[in-house]
Amino acid sequence: MTKLLEIKDLHVSIGGTEIIHGIDLSIGAGEVHAIMGTNGSGKSTLTKAIAGHPDYEITRGDILLKGKSILADEPEDRARAGIFLAFQYPVEIPGVSNMYFLRAALNAQRKARGEAEVSGADFLALIKEKAKLMDIDAGLLNRSVNEGFSGGEKKRNEILQLAVLEPTLAVLDETDSGLDIDALKTVANGVNSLRDSKRSFLLVTHYQRLLNHIKPDFVHVLLDGRLVKSGGPELALELEEKGYAWLEQTV
Amino acid sequence: MTIQTENPLQSLIDAHTAGKAEPAWLSELRADAADSFAALGVPTVRHEEWRYTSLKSLLALKLAPAAHAAVLDADLKPYFIAGADDIRLVFVNGHFDAALSKLPTLPQGLLVAPLSSQFRTDDEGLPSKLARYADHHAQPFTALNMALFSDGAYIRAGRDAQLETPVHVLYVATAPQATAPRTLLLAGENAGLTLIESFVGLGKAAGFCDAVCEIVLQQGAHVQHTRLLRDGVAHHIGWNEVRQDRDSNYTHNSISLQAQLARNDVNVMLTGEGANCTLHGLVLGAGSAHVDNHIIVDHVRPRCVSKQLYRSVVDERARSVFSGKVIVRPGAAGTDAQQQNNNLLLSDDARADTKPQLEIYCDDVKCSHGATSGQLDAAAVFFLRSRGLDVQQARNVLTYAFANEIIEQVTIEPVRAHLEDVMRQRFHGLLGD
Repeated sequence: MTKLLEIKDLHVSIGGTEIIHGIDLSIGAGEVHAIMGTNGSGKSTLTKAIAGHPDYEITRGDILLKGKSILADEPEDRARAGIFLAFQYPVEIPGVSNMYFLRAALNAQRKARGEAEVSGADFLALIKEKAKLMDIDAGLLNRSVNEGFSGGEKKRNEILQLAVLEPTLAVLDETDSGLDIDALKTVANGVNSLRDSKRSFLLVTHYQRLLNHIKPDFVHVLLDGRLVKSGGPELALELEEKGYAWLEQTV
Repeated sequence: MTIQTENPLQSLIDAHTAGKAEPAWLSELRADAADSFAALGVPTVRHEEWRYTSLKSLLALKLAPAAHAAVLDADLKPYFIAGADDIRLVFVNGHFDAALSKLPTLPQGLLVAPLSSQFRTDDEGLPSKLARYADHHAQPFTALNMALFSDGAYIRAGRDAQLETPVHVLYVATAPQATAPRTLLLAGENAGLTLIESFVGLGKAAGFCDAVCEIVLQQGAHVQHTRLLRDGVAHHIGWNEVRQDRDSNYTHNSISLQAQLARNDVNVMLTGEGANCTLHGLVLGAGSAHVDNHIIVDHVRPRCVSKQLYRSVVDERARSVFSGKVIVRPGAAGTDAQQQNNNLLLSDDARADTKPQLEIYCDDVKCSHGATSGQLDAAAVFFLRSRGLDVQQARNVLTYAFANEIIEQVTIEPVRAHLEDVMRQRFHGLLGD
């Protein structure tokens, strides 16, 4: 059966410097994968490469979504095909209300897929339901995107976008960083509620604690631009206990 | 000031002044202004105040003197503002058009009328008010306006008079005319007025509008003033002279939606203690547009507050200029003055010049100024694309957001709603509405 996402011998450079030196990874439908690694190991680079950030150059290898290469696709094409990236540092967009932005995004995606655009009234009902699910104060919906949001509110807002856009592959880039335990639980509950047999997740994190709340099917360790070890959820616990140093010696 | 050896605008004055039947005081004023214009000449880029704005394209125009033209209600429909349309004065090529205007009976103490109707009858002494604030001996285009002047809006509120309904003045020109409209607004003690001036050009050939607006606020008066440069504005030079007495409050929104060449001067003198002045400006420039906002706020008396916030969005080969000066006179203690100019450049060939200046001759003041010029935030563009918006939509959303921060400052609700509509059309389809 065709995997949802296949990454084959992926090499990624930024500004002429290679950060990722050949990664292979397959994610099946409905699976949750976690990639753990230290700062500078290439975690964020991998997520940006999947989302199609123009500054990240793929020098070798391929990324396939449902068996088709997406390397030539623009970021918006990838989003419309079902890839979602939750940003480590969500940008603030003064002057654009969260509500407007979300509806514009949803309708851009629906339009591209040949689906009818969602009316203002229907969207309002949808967004209220999703906001409740994410425990997001309705007041945030009418404020400018992420402007003046706390760190926790920004991350919850990312998960709200995930809930509204309903991607088939959600890539979460250090969504847990900077969150207190309550915010972490809210985010984890949101993600867990969106898990189903068709939607896959790639969680990128430095710490094991997110994985106490979102149980992954597979854990991979990324060090210096290479996946050095893969295993089940128990690998995360081992990393928590031993740190990354013992793996660095194996590289 | 450099005097041009040949001044094609001079011939407009000669054509205009011939055979006018008008009161002697006006003829004298006109003649004085014409002399002044001849002496001052047209400024060049060698003149410091015109360093960034060349008038060569203006001088190359083949302009006809202002004359009557038939304009239909339907032609002006896009420029009427729903909810701010109950009092309307329309001038076509400088001449009052009663059929297109709406002048309801107003409560005592309030007057809204074409200036021409008050030349002989005004009990407040129009001869001592008109052209007594903007200095036509110093400013060539103020002089040219007075020399070419035919008509304009006269808005007057006596002591404590409040006019809640905005007064919308439309100055319409059919190209390639040269028009010289003039607004006079006098707000008495504790009076309140709202003025909207729309400048509209109809027809394709390039015209020239040389506008002057004089606004006087007595003690405690409140005036909100919005100035819109709409479609078809080819060459526009506008001088706004504002005098503010004690505890008065003046708000100015200058929205330049379209112009080939525009120069907006705002000259505010805070002559009474505790006066408050807020100036907002937005420039949307594309093609080879050139829009210059030139502002002087003169803090003459203590404890006045002034704020300037101007933004420009320039695309293609367009260019914007911001030159804002705050002067704090000796003795103007407790002054609070802020100046901010932000420019968004959407193309490699667009250009923004910015020159915020402070001249402070007094201690105990709070003054700040700042300017930024930059491109759209690449991280924000990527963020929006990653959510499914295409490049153009993402750029439109961010540009709209940048510009909308000024539109949001417009406190006259119908005007803000109208401008938001205009902006949505400009950045069409950006939000799925």
